[in-house]
Amino acid sequence: MSTQAAPSILFTHTNPQDGFRLLELSPELEELLTSKDAPVLELKSPSTALAQAVLDPAAQDYVNLCTPTQTYRIRQVQSSNSLHILRPSHAEISQADIKVVTEDEDPLSLPSEAVTAIAKCSSTLELHIPPGGFSAVPFLEKSLRLYDPRADDGDVAMEAESAPLDAKRVREMRERLWRDIPVSEKQCASGWMEVCGFVDSGEEIACWRPSARARLRVWKRVVEGSVLQGIDLEKQFLVRDLWRAVLDEDDEVEVPFPRALLEAVVRRICVEEERVDLRDEIKWASFDRVECTQWVGETYLAATAPISSSAIGRSEFLRGWKDCLPESWRAEAALSKLKNGCYSSPDPTTIFFVEPSQRQQASKTSSAPATAAKAKNTRNWHELLKGSR
Amino acid sequence: MPTIKLHPHCSSPAKATATDSTPNNPLPTLLQTPSGLALLELQGTINVPSSGNEDEDSMMDSTSTNNDLASTFETPIGKLMFPDYSIHNPDDTRWMKRAYLYVGRYQRMTGEVKKLPRPIAVLRKRRGSEEEELEVVEIVRYKIFFKSRPEPVTNV
Repeated sequence: MSTQAAPSILFTHTNPQDGFRLLELSPELEELLTSKDAPVLELKSPSTALAQAVLDPAAQDYVNLCTPTQTYRIRQVQSSNSLHILRPSHAEISQADIKVVTEDEDPLSLPSEAVTAIAKCSSTLELHIPPGGFSAVPFLEKSLRLYDPRADDGDVAMEAESAPLDAKRVREMRERLWRDIPVSEKQCASGWMEVCGFVDSGEEIACWRPSARARLRVWKRVVEGSVLQGIDLEKQFLVRDLWRAVLDEDDEVEVPFPRALLEAVVRRICVEEERVDLRDEIKWASFDRVECTQWVGETYLAATAPISSSAIGRSEFLRGWKDCLPESWRAEAALSKLKNGCYSSPDPTTIFFVEPSQRQQASKTSSAPATAAKAKNTRNWHELLKGSR
Repeated sequence: MPTIKLHPHCSSPAKATATDSTPNNPLPTLLQTPSGLALLELQGTINVPSSGNEDEDSMMDSTSTNNDLASTFETPIGKLMFPDYSIHNPDDTRWMKRAYLYVGRYQRMTGEVKKLPRPIAVLRKRRGSEEEELEVVEIVRYKIFFKSRPEPVTNV
């Protein structure tokens, strides 16, 4: 028989078995892991409190694999086949034992080399990105403190300017909070920018997100200040100058809101090319008239008509929106300029704001149950790696 | 701990499990990886008589702290053969179509070597770290796959 000529390899089973997990890689992930300076990846799951606050319709317990820029949901796929992990072995086993596999009369038929099965996996971990991708925003909305001073008029709530926090401390605070958010660092940063997150040491050092009302107040002060100081918001200006313009000239001690909040708002609405890394100070900025008008419209609506029961008249809304804008921008305000789905109308004359989370849900629900059945994950890695030594 | 680190490389590239010398890798070159790890897929499982301690998990826990290699032992199962493979012609991949796994002396499975549709990273808990950390030990791109049941053979 021809097979007799081919060299055979002794196949053995090692006891005790080792603990391994198998992870199926996407092409991007393979490239990342095999690159010269491959980054450390993270397996992230939300803290228990956050998981309860931000329910994912697609999964109850889950683990996400995060690269510095990308997030994948891990799905454990069971297989009826068993996958064994082999490694070369010296196979120091007695001749008597080898008799089990081969006849000892012919010493040539004894395999001289061996491989051994050191682990068995009955499931693999697969990665997928749900439609719509991952966002840090719903988690940030639950984990950041709401900054919402009760003041419709900017002159009421004045606070003493607190000593500026050093950049390192701010970064630590921010990144500690991100650890509980199960998405990549880049997505955390972009969500943080989206909600205008900031770190401030008011009563105590904390991470905040401004309410729509607070953001609107910042914007109104920005417009007033820029008019008074002759700052053209569409051309590059120094953020430091804008802060001075926002402050009352005669009042150096009291500030209308933390400077970090102004900077967060500027980061959010400045033209994209000027968006610097959160670790770097934002020194220069300029606003794009169209994008900025859209943001102001949405913010104004969120501040004045956050839910359907507080819906306001459309014309009233348009008037209010225009009043928030610099004189030369007023013509930009129109319902068609608002982002798709950010508002809803109970009847043809009124309008109210739709929370981003509600908007996504409408498009998500159709595909969610299908994935829910398949996604069975556990964040208990002790359990998953029980066998490893 | 909500976050667990996954290191792209092994903390001890010179296989911690290898004793004095790393054994020669007898597998076809295509299946060889830097760490020596390879994947073998079977329909069903290999039943091995377990050691004195029946409960494998509890044994893992008790031995997890000491790296006593003397306590590990190998049980021979059979032989692995790639009948059409020749080291003299490694670029010809036709040999991949046929692989045999003899189980004991009288049973044989026929299979093949397949390229994985997506590469698989072999992960392990990182040794010697206080926090729970994982590492990629190897990225495997092929598997030896036996999808059929064993058939009896008499002329081994």
